[in-house]
Amino acid sequence: MTAVRERPGGTGRRPLLVSKAWIQAVALVMLFGFAVMGLLAYRTYTAEPPIPDRVVSADGRVLYTGAEVSRGQQVFLHNGLMEYGSIFGHGAYLGPDFTDDYLHRAAESVTRQLGGGGSDTVAQRVIQDFRENRYDEATRTLTVTPEQAVAFDENVAYYGQFFGADDTSKGLRPKAITDPAEIRQLTAFFSWSAWAASTERPGKDYSYTNNWPPEPLVGNKPTANVVVWSVLSLIALLAGIGALFAVFGRWGDRLGWRGRQADTLSFRSPDAVTLTPAQRATAWFFLVVGLLFLVQTLLGAASEHYRADVTSFFGIDLARLLPYNLVRTWHLQLALFWVSAAFLAAGIFLAPIIAGREPKRQNVLAYVLLGAVALVVFGSLIGEGLSIHGVFSSPGSFFQSQGFEYLDLARAWQVLLTLGLFIWAAILFRGLRVRLARDHMGNMPWLFFLAALAIPAFYAVGLLVDSGDNFTHADFWRFWVVHLWVEDFLELFTTVMVAYIFVMLGVIRERVALTVIYLDVLLYSAGGVIGTMHHLYFSGEPAEHMALGAFFSAAEVIPLTFLTVEAWSFLQLGSRQEGKSATPFPHRWAVMFLVAVGFWNFVGAGIFGFLINLPVVSYYEIGTALTANHGHAAMMGVYGMLAMGLALFCLRYLIPEQHWPERLAKISFWSANLGLLWMCFATLLPVGILQLYKSVDSGYHAARTLEYVTNPTNSVFEWLRLPGDVVFIVGGALPFLWICYLGVRHSLRRRTTLDEPEDMLFTDITVPSEDGRQREASGASSTTSAGD
Amino acid sequence: MVLLVAGYAGLMVAVAAGLEWLARHAAVRSDRYRTAGFTYQPDHDLWVCPRDETLWPHEVDRERRVVRYRARPTVCNACPAKPDCTSSHTGREIVRPIDRWPHSEAGRFHRGVSVTLAAVAAAFVGAALAAFHRPVELAVLVPAGALTGWLLWRWARDFWRTPSGFPDVSTVRHRGTEDPAAENPGRSAGPVLVDLVPPSRRRTGTAWGFDRQPTARGYRSTREAGTDDGEEDPT
Repeated sequence: MTAVRERPGGTGRRPLLVSKAWIQAVALVMLFGFAVMGLLAYRTYTAEPPIPDRVVSADGRVLYTGAEVSRGQQVFLHNGLMEYGSIFGHGAYLGPDFTDDYLHRAAESVTRQLGGGGSDTVAQRVIQDFRENRYDEATRTLTVTPEQAVAFDENVAYYGQFFGADDTSKGLRPKAITDPAEIRQLTAFFSWSAWAASTERPGKDYSYTNNWPPEPLVGNKPTANVVVWSVLSLIALLAGIGALFAVFGRWGDRLGWRGRQADTLSFRSPDAVTLTPAQRATAWFFLVVGLLFLVQTLLGAASEHYRADVTSFFGIDLARLLPYNLVRTWHLQLALFWVSAAFLAAGIFLAPIIAGREPKRQNVLAYVLLGAVALVVFGSLIGEGLSIHGVFSSPGSFFQSQGFEYLDLARAWQVLLTLGLFIWAAILFRGLRVRLARDHMGNMPWLFFLAALAIPAFYAVGLLVDSGDNFTHADFWRFWVVHLWVEDFLELFTTVMVAYIFVMLGVIRERVALTVIYLDVLLYSAGGVIGTMHHLYFSGEPAEHMALGAFFSAAEVIPLTFLTVEAWSFLQLGSRQEGKSATPFPHRWAVMFLVAVGFWNFVGAGIFGFLINLPVVSYYEIGTALTANHGHAAMMGVYGMLAMGLALFCLRYLIPEQHWPERLAKISFWSANLGLLWMCFATLLPVGILQLYKSVDSGYHAARTLEYVTNPTNSVFEWLRLPGDVVFIVGGALPFLWICYLGVRHSLRRRTTLDEPEDMLFTDITVPSEDGRQREASGASSTTSAGD
Repeated sequence: MVLLVAGYAGLMVAVAAGLEWLARHAAVRSDRYRTAGFTYQPDHDLWVCPRDETLWPHEVDRERRVVRYRARPTVCNACPAKPDCTSSHTGREIVRPIDRWPHSEAGRFHRGVSVTLAAVAAAFVGAALAAFHRPVELAVLVPAGALTGWLLWRWARDFWRTPSGFPDVSTVRHRGTEDPAAENPGRSAGPVLVDLVPPSRRRTGTAWGFDRQPTARGYRSTREAGTDDGEEDPT
């Protein structure tokens, strides 16, 4: 290969390395996806279950008002109850699903009032009472039967005792909610959600929630839509996989990335790579990452313990200090925080390598960002703790945690975090500016920046969510963050980053990397954007959300199956060190983490995800341990492993060669993977399958009771998890934290000799060509020369 | 309950076997990143390139446990397809691992996954055995336990005995100073054709891990290599 190096002072931009058709295709797919999403957003607002201004009994007594429903939702969220039980199936899995719980109790009560469950006519009458839509749109008044009014009062009493109990037997803090007004508002919110779940949509024969939850007492059974779209999406999946494999089997080798000989490389020893100040600053980021990861796993263990033994944590009444909902809130928030922090740091670390230089005081900006991140992380966690312990009681306070699962943090922190992410994108832009100016907008430096920019942009969508809004559209926007942000745009950014790292390490050339990125974007976005709706089958959206969600998320599994097998082999590429390198490959365990990512992407995201994706499965499954199974295997398996791999990649340069703990990296790698594997296969999967069986067999309500969740059989399974968790925490998270600590300790002493960062070229790899000429393949030159 | 446990143990084993198969499939595809268009002819131990040129065995790299095949430079340097093929001026090279699939870094990871899944199955059966002792129950559990235990033992033994094939950082690090020739074996050492035996015709990398016969396998197995690599001089 002849080295074609662009003159640094040249004015022309480097042309696009791949066909323009890729950009056009991506633009079309995105345009289509977001056009449909816009339409669905419109339909969400026009077809969501209405919140009546007044709910009155047949005798004219006002039971509750619309304001009380909204306020009740805030009470529910601010007290962290979405991290205890669930609403419309969304939330945590220890407590009951409150939609279903209220519905079941109300239906039982009405049956009892009408004269008992034995009679068929009574059963018919109950079904009739619950399904009939007596909401008057003109007066915005909902009239309920006298029996339902009595049932409401009974439930107010029941929930008063449920949340006001002076013990921790349910995993909540003692006397969690005692204010009678709040209990009434809370019950009003549950009652409204149960009404939406059982009352038929105008002109339809199924409820606002597509007949979810499965509750025979009110005649809720899978709708025709649920079944038909399950079947259709399954067929679409099979046909799609067949077609895709056929196409790629036939023409895949012609995509132009195959069959080329690997370049002969000589890896620069980490000691020989001089760091920039900003890169050195990332050591502190990784220390925070390691710390948060350890805390997150410990919190995970605590929340797991609630399932094994709800009342006592090895003799300590943990729920007085750390009730289940607080533990789970922190566990989930930290999962996002430490992974994102690792991505932020990796972005800052890679930027100078890509740009080939670093502007002055970039490190100051990095430290500012670190401070902001730390402030948001610890501030929001403390805020959530105070909220759940009832310190902030004024409604809708700016510092009161919002309590939506994954969007738990208070509005103030959310705004700060969004700003922080934009600052991060700006830092990257500042670092990359010189490089961007020289390059076509479809090439890798731009893709890197644009993918980074999408992260704050889509996180900002979360600001549309307000805790007082109608739950249906609040949840719609929430999943823009949970699904689109996490599953699509973080995925996109990491794809670009991994591809870039592979280019820098000389595993692949830039053109190949570009093709892989475009293909990835294309295939993921085709299904992934509209596939967001697979979270929203039963949260009050009309049937088309379910239809499109099921269809496109099944289509999402096609690239998952294909791409993961493809990406699986792609990620394995890094671990193949068979070239005749004169120096050892420094990133053994970083690339092994990438191999693990390939595996978990297939198992955790692909298999475990599809297991619960069909509407008819989700109908019985939502809110059970099988969701947790998918969540852990996909979140930790893919993003967690990726974050650890990226951290090790950067830390390898931050820690001098003589101090690099190869053994600890190895232990961490094996423990994290085997521990996670044990967790999923020894506990979450079998417990989830049993719970799904229970749900189909004895009804959803029975499967979600605390008595069922903590019964002896399940308890044995939960205890079986212990060895895996210990391996994961002691062997996986602790050594990782130590490596992160070494990064700070040694990078501090490591003097960077550069006075003028502008003039420093980053040399990562030297490629000795066969005729003996040494070509310096810095990030910049290896990317420029790859286009020949 | 007993049947459920045995069934789940069976499922775990099946999943492990399925993942083994898939992971190996992924590894084969990973190979194809480098070798797409080239066909290996096991009978003659050579590769044929898309332009029908032959790549001959060139050297055995013991350190990385691969065999290198190389085409004639005169042909390659005149070939119109060269820019898409190689940047080397000494002819296109193809690398084939000596050891079968589990003997790679990624392979070891996936074998580790299989071991863990088998351990899950064994733990389940073990827990059930502790709880159920009726003869009928034992009749189900004991065979299930024996099967999973046996698989666990085979996989685990195979796992421990399989070196990753990854050059050890600590041993490689300072080698360059002592032996400058090893810095660039391609140029200075020349072709190394010692102990080159045509490989057996059996498909490489069958699953399960118990069909490795260290003797009749062409290029020496890793287990052999592990015992005498230290004493033998590679050149």
